[in-house]
Amino acid sequence: MAISADAPAVALPDPRWRTRDILVTAVLGVAFGVVFWFWNNLAWSFLAPLGPFQNLFYAVWLIPAVLAPLIVRKPGAALFAELLAAGVSVIAGSPWSLDVLLSGFVQGAAAELVFAFSLYRAWGLPVLAIAALASATAAWIHDWVIYYPTVAVETQLLVGAAMGVSALVIVGFGSLMLARALRRAGVLEGFPR
Amino acid sequence: MIAVRAPEDRSLASPLGRISPVAKLVLVAAWVAGLALTTDPRPPLVLGAIGLAAAVVLGRVRPASLAVALAPLAFATLTVGFFNALLNPANGNPALAVVASLGPIRLTAPAVVAGVALACRVGAVAALGIAFALTTDTTRLVDALVQQARVPERFAYGALAAFQAVPRLAEDLVALREARRIRGLRASWHPRMLVGLLVLAIRRADRLAVAMDARGFGSGPRTRFRVERWSLPDAAFLGAGSVVLVAAMVFGR
Repeated sequence: MAISADAPAVALPDPRWRTRDILVTAVLGVAFGVVFWFWNNLAWSFLAPLGPFQNLFYAVWLIPAVLAPLIVRKPGAALFAELLAAGVSVIAGSPWSLDVLLSGFVQGAAAELVFAFSLYRAWGLPVLAIAALASATAAWIHDWVIYYPTVAVETQLLVGAAMGVSALVIVGFGSLMLARALRRAGVLEGFPR
Repeated sequence: MIAVRAPEDRSLASPLGRISPVAKLVLVAAWVAGLALTTDPRPPLVLGAIGLAAAVVLGRVRPASLAVALAPLAFATLTVGFFNALLNPANGNPALAVVASLGPIRLTAPAVVAGVALACRVGAVAALGIAFALTTDTTRLVDALVQQARVPERFAYGALAAFQAVPRLAEDLVALREARRIRGLRASWHPRMLVGLLVLAIRRADRLAVAMDARGFGSGPRTRFRVERWSLPDAAFLGAGSVVLVAAMVFGR
């Protein structure tokens, strides 16, 4: 059976980035870079007494990787927003320094991969939750190798579980709530819903 | 309020400040990658010290500004070291000598050594990042990323435009807090303020996008105002930096 050239089998959303898409993604990345700066330098140290359960708050670092693509729905938005947020937090001064760029890359790329598999068409809670979990998994592996290579495996599993819960609640559910609040405020006119 | 540390003019005019930001980025990334491959405390100590010395001598960074930038990072460094020592599986081995103990919690010598080594790694990585940030101008970094590292220019300059609005973000935060106070709300901090902050940021992004589109942003081939070219000092910097990295890694064996 011949497939005619002008009728694609699946209708993909327009992958081209308007200037507005770039700027809104960039502004979200920058705003969360400032949040990261606060989280890196102040909040995270105060949470240190919680031990492995500190990671229940880890997913604040993963929000742009899901929130930005949820709003602009363009290929690459997860990676762009997360990398930019990481870069801004480095320039503002981060204890993790340039390694934050590697963190940002793996976290953004993992979420991006999930959205790519959905062909950038499904934006419900299940896809957001899977993307958040993928991002947290990438972050978990990265931190294990780079920062906590000598920590016992049982503790690592506990840390991973805490990060997973954190990602589901803060990133999956949280970015859906944030996007809804922004839509109600009327600033997302002209973005797909 | 939001402290984005701007490098001083004298640092930007220094030998290290004139090196291509891309060359600095590549070298720091190589050093950080090297540090990730070793668990010995000596390479991070050497590389971190050389990085800081280079920032002061070649980068003409004031030691006082360096200290101010490094201070908040010290706590994170200690946290990483402490938790690696505390959660090390060696602590459960009854055959090993105990350095300190509190109730059921034991701290053994190998665990402490591992914790110190990791604290050194994190401290060195943080120092290198500070040395980079205090000798690099953000606009020049983006110019170099576009011209020398071939980063897509619409995204790079869009990100730069958004980044330069960070001071506005601080003003928005002040305005939001004042608005809460006028409404008689006690706490000047509330998570809901994040929504207000993002609303204002997205509105600003829309205005920026319209202004940039009106000036033909990304509509054709871009001409360069500030041209970034590879130079001999860049090559010398990369060569010397690689030699130092290899020497430090061999020293740490």
